[in-house]
Amino acid sequence: MAPSRIPSRRPRVVLRAVTATAAAALVLSACTGGAGTSGAGDTSGNQLLTIPREDLATFTRNFNPLSPQAAPMTKEAVYEPLVVHSMADAKDTPWLATEWEEAKDGKSLTFTLREGVKWSDGKPLVADDVVYTFELRKKVLGGLEYLDKVTAVDEHTVKFSFNKAFSPGFWEIAGQQIMPKHIWSKVEDPAKFTNPNPVGTGPYTEIEKFQAQSYEVRKNPDYWQPDKQRIAGIQMLAFSGNDSANLAFTNGEVDWTQSFIPDIEKSFVAKDKEHNHYWFPPAGAMINWQLNTTKAPYSDPAVRKALSMAVDRDQITKVAMNGYAEPADCTGLTRTYDKWRDTSLADSCTWTTYDTDAAAKALDAAGYKESGGKRKLKNGKDFTLDISVGSASSDWISAANIIKQNLAKVGITATVKTPDWAAVVSSYEQGTFDTGIVWSNNGATPYEYFRDMMTSGMLKPVGEKATQNYHRYADPKADKLIDAFAAATDESTQREQVNALQKLYDEDAPAVPLFTGPEFGAYTDARFTGWPSEDNPYATLGNRNTSTILVLTSLKPVKS
Amino acid sequence: MRLILRNLGFYLLAFWASITLNFLLPRFMPGDPVSRMFAQQAGGMQPEQIAQLRKLFGLDDRPLWEQYVSYVKSVFTGDLGISISRFPTPVTEVIGSQIGWTLLLGGTALVVAAVVGNLLGIVAAWRRGGMLDSAFPPLLIFVGSFPYFWLAMGALYLFGVSLGWFPLRHAYDAGLTPGLNAEFVANAGTHLVLPALTVVAVTVGSWMLGMRNTMIATAAEDYITMAEAKGLSPSRIMFRYAARNALLPSVTNFGMGLGFVVGGALLTEVVFAYPGIGFQLLAAVQGLDYPLMQGIFLTITAAVLLANFLVDIVYVRLDPRVRVR
Repeated sequence: MAPSRIPSRRPRVVLRAVTATAAAALVLSACTGGAGTSGAGDTSGNQLLTIPREDLATFTRNFNPLSPQAAPMTKEAVYEPLVVHSMADAKDTPWLATEWEEAKDGKSLTFTLREGVKWSDGKPLVADDVVYTFELRKKVLGGLEYLDKVTAVDEHTVKFSFNKAFSPGFWEIAGQQIMPKHIWSKVEDPAKFTNPNPVGTGPYTEIEKFQAQSYEVRKNPDYWQPDKQRIAGIQMLAFSGNDSANLAFTNGEVDWTQSFIPDIEKSFVAKDKEHNHYWFPPAGAMINWQLNTTKAPYSDPAVRKALSMAVDRDQITKVAMNGYAEPADCTGLTRTYDKWRDTSLADSCTWTTYDTDAAAKALDAAGYKESGGKRKLKNGKDFTLDISVGSASSDWISAANIIKQNLAKVGITATVKTPDWAAVVSSYEQGTFDTGIVWSNNGATPYEYFRDMMTSGMLKPVGEKATQNYHRYADPKADKLIDAFAAATDESTQREQVNALQKLYDEDAPAVPLFTGPEFGAYTDARFTGWPSEDNPYATLGNRNTSTILVLTSLKPVKS
Repeated sequence: MRLILRNLGFYLLAFWASITLNFLLPRFMPGDPVSRMFAQQAGGMQPEQIAQLRKLFGLDDRPLWEQYVSYVKSVFTGDLGISISRFPTPVTEVIGSQIGWTLLLGGTALVVAAVVGNLLGIVAAWRRGGMLDSAFPPLLIFVGSFPYFWLAMGALYLFGVSLGWFPLRHAYDAGLTPGLNAEFVANAGTHLVLPALTVVAVTVGSWMLGMRNTMIATAAEDYITMAEAKGLSPSRIMFRYAARNALLPSVTNFGMGLGFVVGGALLTEVVFAYPGIGFQLLAAVQGLDYPLMQGIFLTITAAVLLANFLVDIVYVRLDPRVRVR
């Protein structure tokens, strides 16, 4: 083929057309620039509390409190529980119930409802509503096996009868959002009802301007504590991830976030030292390095303790967790359970203190000797292990990498495996994993934690799907203690059981506890004040948990 | 006509293969939606709730082939089930409420990139060695080699945060009600500029290069010399003679692009929090929401196949050679 020949002609027309288009585009962009966003800097007194959801790209108009995918504020502002429990100070605040009484035999609970509470359609709250709520919940979601029946003693008294003494049931019952019978009894399929215009007893119930990525929740005209409805309303914004939500937050367009902000001092607080604050109380669950106790050598408590001694918890909390977490001790209890902790035991902890030499000696003593820089298993093979973490949890991955370095010092070769969480959880459930980083159960008392950590009730054989106790450890002594705890109605008896459980935990080390997880939360007080803080820890800074309603009823708008 | 029918048969086969893959692939993923939710909550959920949620969602425990039969049946009746991550919204409603924004963003970006890229390619080839021809291709290839989301974040920071020319997120301002009025359309327009611009910036280079290369080959043909000899005006030769014949590969690309519009702008949607289905797909995969995943995959597959089929038809019309074969 001949070399292509291009005529040297001037296609002026087209060039002009192209430049014209470009110019038009520029003019257009200049005209439309500077579009205003939500009420940043608005301090008229009527500003809306703006909350981002970094995990929801769009909202669905579903205000059904029984739905796990209920729109934000359904359980936090529209519907209210009988009693509000705060994980920050472990206190119970009377809410729709003014008082409650547990029967001496522990087999029933009686709540007295607050007088004068009205639904947002003006009808009064009565005991029948509570009875109906629990009927509905059992029908739709099942569960509550210990609950025999719920009866309305009179218009303002409800009695819950159990089929066995079960004191931890209090928090599950007291924390249930109460729904109006006069509305829901007319609903055909309550499981799938989306409840677009909810009727609740909460401070903010009126849904306005509902769009795919934003909506407003305005004041309930009939709220029972009108003096606490100081803010005009809540505006929810949808975001597609931490990055876009954090951008809006550092820009001052939203007031309150609980998404993870890396290096928060620099990226957020430094921008406006006067107004930008954060508080990460250690109110989360215990984060464990679990060892599969069905596999050798992890079936040996001495090995579990030795591995635990090899782990540098200070480095993990400082480096991997940015200093936002608190190292664990040998009671296995989080900071939330400080009042349950056996301090004499905690002071004499041995296997949760970082000591490479002691770890090496303990492994030697257990029969896993080192030769040529590598520790050997009893069958002569190298001592190696896998640590599983889900790929989305960057902080936990760096914790696993620190453990890997720590183990190298005692001659153990660890491999950090980071597939998607779905794959990790599946290996936990089936019991096929080696070791892994995992959360634990975080209830109002240590009952749920110890039950899931050490008892046979939650134990499933390898190959059968477990929902807790992935490490598959159980001790009949723990079973007795946990049942005695649930049956006890006075705190001193419960304390005895918890002390015994801590002792058992210390002896057997069912898992390697790493640190108490922090509850993230940050806010700007440029537009609202009254936030919880270290000095006034009435709630955590979470905007989607049980104590959120305490924050909503404490905030005051800034007026200028 | 026979050609179109033959193609139709092929497309039906491809459609069957892809819906079968749609069905199988999600089920090869380990775990199930409820334990996934449980993992995300990291201790915030009670184990008892797992059984409750399985009951509520009515998760499928039937044998695989039974699930497959009912799945194929539901595909053809348009009933795609109920989304788990957006429970209790039907999948068709989730997709229906968001696909419009994806089409708007992807369609606008595709049309702008194709028109601008082709025009640049025509001009560059016609004035080979000129300013446009030597400066633009390297520049556009350079820009085009950036990942979408990187460019999107850069643009967001520069034009959104620093200069404040454009809004930072969403398809329209919070508090506005969608409707066909001037205020809303203008608002949606300003929200569209940055996301569309970043997609255009990345894709325009390949359009330009493709067009330029075919154009150069076409310009060497004898009929161009013939047209020049006849004394036709340069612009007439450029567009009617050269560009028209060089346009065929671009039509194919446009058709392919049209198909990929549906699933293509995922990362851009994530950066700008644009309410399209790209992000919804990511969320569905992360949450193991089988019904929604299948629904979105199905939509994407159908869009790609449909676009290709349309291109085939247009080709028959545009290129006489295809008809002969």
